[in-house]
Amino acid sequence: MPIVEVSNLTKSYTSGVFRKSSIQALSGVSLSVNEGEIFGLLGPNGAGKTTFVKILLSIVFPSSGTATVLNHKLGSIEIRKKVGYLPENHRYPSFLTAIDTMKHFGRLSGIPSRTLAARIPTLLQLVGLADWHKVKIRKFSKGMLQRLGLAVAMVNDPHILFLDEPTDGVDPIGRKEIRDILKSLRSQGKTIFLNSHMLSEVEEISDRVAILNKGHLLHVGTIADITSHQLEYEIRFLSPPPPATLHQLRSFCKSVQQDQTLLHVAVNDRQDFQKVLDILRQEGIEIESFSPRKSRLEDYFMRVISTGAE
Amino acid sequence: MNAFWLSYLTVREALLKGTLLFFFVVSNIVIIFFLFAIDSTNGDLSIFGNPITPRGIPDFNPVDFLFLNIFSSSTFWVLLFGIFATAGLIPAMLEKGTVELYVSKPISRPLLLLSRSIGACAGIAFNLIYFAGAIWLIIGLKTGIWHQGFLLAALTVIPLFFFYYSVVALIALISNSTGFAIMFALIFWFFSSALNIREMVMYVWWDNVVFHRVLDLLYYATPQVSPMLESATKLIGPDIMKRTGLSETAGFDSLPFLYSLLSSSLLYALAAWRFSKKDY
Repeated sequence: MPIVEVSNLTKSYTSGVFRKSSIQALSGVSLSVNEGEIFGLLGPNGAGKTTFVKILLSIVFPSSGTATVLNHKLGSIEIRKKVGYLPENHRYPSFLTAIDTMKHFGRLSGIPSRTLAARIPTLLQLVGLADWHKVKIRKFSKGMLQRLGLAVAMVNDPHILFLDEPTDGVDPIGRKEIRDILKSLRSQGKTIFLNSHMLSEVEEISDRVAILNKGHLLHVGTIADITSHQLEYEIRFLSPPPPATLHQLRSFCKSVQQDQTLLHVAVNDRQDFQKVLDILRQEGIEIESFSPRKSRLEDYFMRVISTGAE
Repeated sequence: MNAFWLSYLTVREALLKGTLLFFFVVSNIVIIFFLFAIDSTNGDLSIFGNPITPRGIPDFNPVDFLFLNIFSSSTFWVLLFGIFATAGLIPAMLEKGTVELYVSKPISRPLLLLSRSIGACAGIAFNLIYFAGAIWLIIGLKTGIWHQGFLLAALTVIPLFFFYYSVVALIALISNSTGFAIMFALIFWFFSSALNIREMVMYVWWDNVVFHRVLDLLYYATPQVSPMLESATKLIGPDIMKRTGLSETAGFDSLPFLYSLLSSSLLYALAAWRFSKKDY
């Protein structure tokens, strides 16, 4: 069931007083996010990812198009009651402690003090800041601030979390912990909208992704679809195959690339791959192993961005 | 309730800013000065043994004269320090990385701006009440005269500052610059003082009816800082300003406050409208 529905969303920024210039940040973006999924929004810098999230939260106003979040139209205060948001490069008041920061933003979200008193220690424990709750946040590292930001985003027990680069500046252990938290939230039925440059992380935890470039939506699909093998195989030998054999394979394969004792072959269909194996056996080349080559999200992302289409 | 917490945080933020702390320290120095300087043991009011005798003003109460001088000089510094201490609070809220945190909360942008402005003014109000209360108490204990007019006059500076702050709020929101907001607020104060005596000073610049009406419009359409201060001073003594030649009328005049309430409401509304329409 879609929890976020966006139709033909467009945003252009104008600048200048006398010579007005316009920058198209989003061009007719339409997508939907389902309840209980982790949805990754990918794109290079300036693709429009942050603008897209800010529009959903009424921080930025769209030039045209419509959107609903949790069945409420954009601009509704009800949306902001039920969502959590971790902005990129956030700046919490540095003179507050972690616990005061959470209390303050919890109160601004309309959460009663008694509920906050019960919820805040649990959230600080969850993000690994329980021992730092009385320390002024000006002493926090970037990674600790990100963890705090995540806890603040969860303080109103939101239905949907919008996270803009949540692991930015976090060490590898912290990143793993944040990924685990996000997976745990998904298992609790929460929906997570993730903006990230960390493609490997997005690949690991997201159910679906969208790729945005220069304001245009290039792809929306499941991670499983993107990373399923595309009739590409890796064959490992004990010794490298002779050039004549490679020449023979290239006559009917889409591509053949040799890297020492490893051969990457892309074929048109499964029969072609059987033919490859037959030829190698006929030539007496000893095969150590072979496996379908799984496409990585990064490969797909680079391909989509460079061609500008799926 | 959300607005209350934002105002509360604004007061904390203002207190932690060096300028408001400096304001508090200066207030304490002045309080300590009066604690030791004022003496009335032999029936005459004196400062460090020098009797307070207002020359040229017959039958003038020395206590009124003392309160008049304290009020006149301290309101100048309260407004000046107040602007320096609080002008940065709105640009600080609008900084990238901060504004997103606030505008994504379930609180309307006009209320957000108003809460921030109230918080800024509350910081000044606490300091003012503390300072005026302490001075009133010291002089009351030393002279046995509990001057209610001084307390009332000090309290009127709180709405006065809130009305004046509407100029800072609007300019800070448009320019997003603390320096520009301070500079504009001080120029406005000077300009407001000139508008108050426009018939004597500004009308002669250009003898043109349209120009005169424009000046009149500006006078009524902007917070009347000088007339409000003048009117507040009249609370210290019913005829004190008239007898000293500082004003033509004797009693407290509420009209400058009423006009300023309306004009500052307009400025706050403009600021709120601008804030509501802006992308962050």
